[in-house]
Amino acid sequence: MLNRSLLAAAILASVAAAPVQAAKKDNSVRFAYDQVLENIDPYFNNVRLGVIMSHAVWDTLIYRDPNSNEYKPGLATSWKWIDDRTLELELRQGVKFHNGEAFDADDVVYTLNFASDPANKATAQQNISWVEKAEKVEQYKVRIRTKRPFPAAIEYLAGPIPMHPNEYYATAGPKGMNEKPVGTGPYKVTEHVVGKVIRLEANKDYWASAPKPKATIERIEVRMIPDRQTQVAEMLSGGLDLIMNVPVEQAEQLKAAPHLAVTSGLTMRIVFILFNSGQNGPNDAIKDVRVRQAIAHSIDKVTMARQLVGEQARVIETICFPTQFGCTDEGARRYPYDPAKAKALLAEAGFKDGFDLEFLGYRERPQTEAMVNYMRAAGIRANLKFMQYAAMREQHRANKAAATHQTWGSFSINDVSAGPSAYFKGIDDDMIKDPEVIAQFEKGDTSVDPAVRKEAYKRGLQLVNERAYAVPLYALTTNYVSDKDLQFKAYPDELPRFWEMKWK
Amino acid sequence: MSDAVILPIETVTTKVGSPAARMAANPSVVTGLLLVGAVVAIALLAPLLAPHDPYAQDLTRRLIPPIWHDKGVWFNPLGTDNLGRDYLSRVLYGARISLLIGLSVMVISGLIGTALGLAAGYFGGRTDLVISFVITARLAMPVVLVALAVVAMIGGSLPVVILTLGLLKWDRFAVVMRSATQQVRSLDYVTAAEAAGASRSRIVLGEILPNVFPHLIVVATVEAGSAILLEAALSFLGLGVQPPLPSWGLMIAEAKNLMFFSFWLIAIPGTALALLVLGINLLGDGLRDVFAPDGRS
Amino acid sequence: MLLYALKRLGLALLVAAFVSVVAFLLLRLSGDAALAIAGEGARDEDIALVRRTYGLDRPLIVQYGDWLLRTLAGDLGQSLYFKTDVAALIADKLPVTFLIGSFSLLFALALSVPLGVLSAVYAGSWIDRLALALAVAGQALPNFFFALVLMMLFSITLRWLPVSGSDTWAHFVMPTIALGYYVTPPMMRLVRAGMVEVLGSDYIRTARAKGLSPASVVFKHGLRNALVPVVALAAVQLGYLLGGSIVIETIFALDGLGYLAYQSITHKDFPVTQAVLLLLALIYVLLTLVSDLLNAFLDPRMRVA
Repeated sequence: MLNRSLLAAAILASVAAAPVQAAKKDNSVRFAYDQVLENIDPYFNNVRLGVIMSHAVWDTLIYRDPNSNEYKPGLATSWKWIDDRTLELELRQGVKFHNGEAFDADDVVYTLNFASDPANKATAQQNISWVEKAEKVEQYKVRIRTKRPFPAAIEYLAGPIPMHPNEYYATAGPKGMNEKPVGTGPYKVTEHVVGKVIRLEANKDYWASAPKPKATIERIEVRMIPDRQTQVAEMLSGGLDLIMNVPVEQAEQLKAAPHLAVTSGLTMRIVFILFNSGQNGPNDAIKDVRVRQAIAHSIDKVTMARQLVGEQARVIETICFPTQFGCTDEGARRYPYDPAKAKALLAEAGFKDGFDLEFLGYRERPQTEAMVNYMRAAGIRANLKFMQYAAMREQHRANKAAATHQTWGSFSINDVSAGPSAYFKGIDDDMIKDPEVIAQFEKGDTSVDPAVRKEAYKRGLQLVNERAYAVPLYALTTNYVSDKDLQFKAYPDELPRFWEMKWK
Repeated sequence: MSDAVILPIETVTTKVGSPAARMAANPSVVTGLLLVGAVVAIALLAPLLAPHDPYAQDLTRRLIPPIWHDKGVWFNPLGTDNLGRDYLSRVLYGARISLLIGLSVMVISGLIGTALGLAAGYFGGRTDLVISFVITARLAMPVVLVALAVVAMIGGSLPVVILTLGLLKWDRFAVVMRSATQQVRSLDYVTAAEAAGASRSRIVLGEILPNVFPHLIVVATVEAGSAILLEAALSFLGLGVQPPLPSWGLMIAEAKNLMFFSFWLIAIPGTALALLVLGINLLGDGLRDVFAPDGRS
Repeated sequence: MLLYALKRLGLALLVAAFVSVVAFLLLRLSGDAALAIAGEGARDEDIALVRRTYGLDRPLIVQYGDWLLRTLAGDLGQSLYFKTDVAALIADKLPVTFLIGSFSLLFALALSVPLGVLSAVYAGSWIDRLALALAVAGQALPNFFFALVLMMLFSITLRWLPVSGSDTWAHFVMPTIALGYYVTPPMMRLVRAGMVEVLGSDYIRTARAKGLSPASVVFKHGLRNALVPVVALAAVQLGYLLGGSIVIETIFALDGLGYLAYQSITHKDFPVTQAVLLLLALIYVLLTLVSDLLNAFLDPRMRVA
């Protein structure tokens, strides 16, 4: 058997002797991701790599500054609500798409109406289904009509809703857009081999007034490498310059490699345990609020966050990300780690000898295992069932899952309407359907007055904690491993911004 | 159906000397028995041998290296895993999972395959035609792919993996049993028993089965080894048994991310797996020689 | 001979039809594809829409008939996950897998034939024992573990070979070894067994008596006959190789059929899983058909039958 220190020494020695990185010399960055992008058209995929590509190749009407979270002009220079359901936007002049097509109201109208029409089968319906229709007012002015009052529209327009060129899109469609993508963004796609590689080239004619700076790195190569250890092997052997979502324990080890840098950043993805304590829930014990509270007290989220997520991890007390509009833990009941109290609550509920619980998870399996372990320590006979996300959701919605390890990234949308509302507003994933909770989130989502919204969300989040419908745990971090000479910044929205990167 | 798709089998002829003596003299059998025996002993005695509970986590004591490393501690002789669980205890308990899978799959697939093979070989004619067809169809489906698809849809767990593999891996039993039965059924004592008016079940179970038994044993060992490897591969792809079960395949999968700096994490379960399968294969190999006519090895 | 060939062909077709039914049922009974397609955060109405637009709400038998007719017409449908033509997707991935499969088979043959011949010629000697030991040990090593060890050694420590991808021949070295070593032992045993038998036959004794050189006896007369069963086994093994490539392709990020199959399974992309399953089955059926016919042709005893 190989001796660890010997081996590590061999790795480090071989790495130190590595020739100067080819990528640095020709001013390119080689990046890898573990997902496959089935279609690069942002409306036709729902994976993180798609979001990364969306912001590199396309632009949005409104821009959210990732540092201040302020909304700034993007392809739209200004916007205002002219009534509860109508948003009017002035568009920027002089912007050109990669194929030379000029940007104007027709592009906005076509893109929004196409993507929001269910018949076109856009993958991420929830991001666009709030749009009733878009209308051209003048060549550089449009109106967007929403189905219901939808104050978070600004946030959506700054995130998952990029603008396509209408003439090209009308003929090429999502299929042509996938093969030969055309946007206005800081990078152009020069090659896309589905499931394998995407090659980008800096857009030399990127519009000057854009909130994103013009790209410095000339070429980006995005490879899809499914296996984590293969990515790391590539990093160690100098075949890649940047990878992300590296598990904390691996990131810790990679700090030892002299030519690599490890950067950690907090993300908007929160982790929580979701209970199904609804009428048709599969586990009677879980229907007792004391049992749910016992589980909340049984889990040492502080230790989990520090050991399994990393130093940057942020423990949360309500199920939303702190920077999201309406997110607060003010007045919300807290559940500190207290195994004795957990046992007492269980005994009080009549489960002195514990009970059987099937616990479902779909990602960060070590964390799921740790949760199971804590529950077992409190006397609950928890069994782990690990599955794909779709399968887990199927179980949850079919009332077959009493407790699930959920994570939610809110599509990087900085508003509670994209977060807990998805689970507690009485739709699809809400198996509890508590009318009081529904009322609060509904009010928060559809009121126009920010103060009213905040108050409603606060009350809603308090109720969720009081009734222990969910156990808020922590926000995840993402670890980036990069060549030490690559300059970049990690943002909570998990978006590597190629256009800001530089070689030292 | 032609025999070309069927792996050739060695014919059984009358043997000289007691089988037990021949086994004891065969180095493969002895080594194989020692290895498998050791793993069986570990599996049975795991609660006594393991220094800790294989499921007990300690998040503050993660990834401690084994004792031969300068940072190793005797408290965890083989170190700890990513969740701070004692690696030695997990490896020891892991023997149970692998053996359970090997044995159960062997029994399930052995029963199916032997029944089909005996029926096809003994009855011949239309029965043989139908069964041969089923065997060919089964052989045409890639085991790994079908097993993955099935486990993915039902959800991985120990019973699901065992049943899936058991229902898939009967082909070699059927193929070998069919040819062996065909050879035995024309032998004098079978025809004599038939002439004496013995019942079919009596002939199949009393005359034929004991005579094809050596083949059965050889196939059974090969299949047990291959089932263990298949489970490990399924678990490695994340579609096998569920954590926190200490399956060796799963342990390799969980640790592969860390292998560049903590190679022992995959080397220990990998070696354990290889040794067990090696033992089983040696045993099967040796038994083949023991049962085979003289002069073959 | 012609009658035999026709009978064999008929059987092959029947098997293919049977496998298509099994493959279809197996995958359709496995849960709600619509949910998987709709993706994270999808609403019930989106899912219902997906179900309608993809025709997943029709009775199974109708779906099967529809699928079979289209498949026969060469239309494998659309991938639910990649949203592209399944046939194009497979055509795109097949070459990589075919390359690794062939390389591995060649690797296995290149190792097993000389080793098998040597151990037969020197049966019982240390060469024989060593070859056998290698064979037994090789079959005990899990291929994913072996692949990881290879990567560790050749890419990280020695830096001789690239880790992942399929751009140059160097990318294929480790996958070929990791996949091919496992099928080497059974082939070697077969070559050895065949050679032992042939070398002991009257036919060879006559050749020897005629005063032919030992090399000529071994290679010209012995090996040719001993290779017949190896051809049959090679066909079976290629099927195994295609199956085994799932694990190896995932580890080395080779974008081939095996990895496509794995992705389609985890994403419940039935049209793709079904097509790959059927394709692999057809390849197997075809290979065994060819090898049977080849055997019948090569072996004079079978030609008469």
